[in-house]
Amino acid sequence: MPSSAATPLSSQRSSEAAAAPAVALRGVSKRFYFYEHRTRTLREWFIRRVLRRPLHVRRAEFTLREMNLVVERGEAVALLGRNGSGKSTALRLIAGIYQPSTGTVETNGRITAVIELGAGFHPELTGSENIALYAAVLGLTRRELAARYDEIVEFAAIPDLPDTPLKYYSSGMEARLAFSVAVCLQPDILLLDEVLAVGDEAFRERCLERLRTYHERGGTLILVSHELDQLRELCSRGIWLADGRVVMDGAIDAVLAGYRGERH
Amino acid sequence: MSGSGSRLRRLWRYRELLHSLVVRNLKVKYQRSMLGFVWNFVLQTLNTGTYIFAEHSRLTRSVAFPSEILVFGAAGSRLIEFVAEIALVLIALVLLHHHQVPESFALLPVLALIQLLLVIGLALPIATLSVFYYDVYHALPIALTTLFYLSPVFYPAEMVPEAARTIYFLNPIAGLLTLYQDVLYWGRMPSPHLLGGMLAAAVAFYLVGYAVFRRYAAVFPEIV
Repeated sequence: MPSSAATPLSSQRSSEAAAAPAVALRGVSKRFYFYEHRTRTLREWFIRRVLRRPLHVRRAEFTLREMNLVVERGEAVALLGRNGSGKSTALRLIAGIYQPSTGTVETNGRITAVIELGAGFHPELTGSENIALYAAVLGLTRRELAARYDEIVEFAAIPDLPDTPLKYYSSGMEARLAFSVAVCLQPDILLLDEVLAVGDEAFRERCLERLRTYHERGGTLILVSHELDQLRELCSRGIWLADGRVVMDGAIDAVLAGYRGERH
Repeated sequence: MSGSGSRLRRLWRYRELLHSLVVRNLKVKYQRSMLGFVWNFVLQTLNTGTYIFAEHSRLTRSVAFPSEILVFGAAGSRLIEFVAEIALVLIALVLLHHHQVPESFALLPVLALIQLLLVIGLALPIATLSVFYYDVYHALPIALTTLFYLSPVFYPAEMVPEAARTIYFLNPIAGLLTLYQDVLYWGRMPSPHLLGGMLAAAVAFYLVGYAVFRRYAAVFPEIV
């Protein structure tokens, strides 16, 4: 494992093909259907078939249009834009949760996406059981988890964590645990969707610190957040989305300035 | 005094009947629960399929993972329950019925494999359909009840008229239960015809069911 000191990326992961980008979206569009009427039962399906009525009344809309985006290894990128501009869809496509309607999504390295905090958790299981479950959901083997387990527990800093069932946690504690697992597993590519607002002030500060360390170790970071100051602190590059298109892509300060200017 | 004494003697003379009654009761019970346990496994696994993606909707929406593993997991945990249940039946049948371990018991792993492939092959498309139509949850018990009466749970398959036998065995559960009846209760090797046919059917169900699932699985995160 590389040390936490900032070292050039190439020296850390020299064995991997240096040229391949962490993420490459090429001509990616994502179409969703919005339903005026949707047949959701077999009974209705049958009736509509007999009466020869259409099953659905819907219109297609593109949440992302012809998006081209290349993120190099070790970059820290901020995605910004209003609600519904396509940020989360882009993250889900990169994570492999959604399949693109057109175009290709290429990723190199192990990805961890934190879209919803605590998604893989089970309330009846204890903290340590949930850590194991979530790590398994993220595709880690038991051995890979064992190497990180202590770090996760330490970082989450929840007293009595290992043996307390999750249902007795506060929602803030649950979120802290989820975040700790995702970050401490040191994926090659980390995607975070508005999950940095978890926990109290002190924990947030430690999260930011941890993300900086992650990035310094050579991790690729793609962040969605509405806390613009946070984005400026962590990311060097910004991508501004509106209506599923890239409006601006460049240095974080310039993109933030452009985005702020648009809003006023 | 002498009256109750002769009564006791009479009872003693009939001790064989007492023994037979106990054995018979247990035998009938275990024969019935043997098929009941198989049926229960099928029923519960398929039922779980109707809500499994809804139950794990947060996970499906926010993590990229092979979601069929949820169905495999459900079938796997049911299978372990089933093995525990059927172990009791095996002991009872050996002690009370066969008085030795029949050779046919060696086929049990094959039967379990057939059962697992068959049920996963059915559960995957049912789970897929449930993502799109939520009354599958209500329709399935009706379909399963029909299937139940069309399976040799409380009547032997031999009672079905010869002419209808082929159609009857199109219901894969009927074949599975007949196999269990042969192997466990009669302690005999089932006809290779039935065994081979069921094995082939189970593999076919599994492959087709998996293909149906894979055809639609990519859009689950957008729907659940």
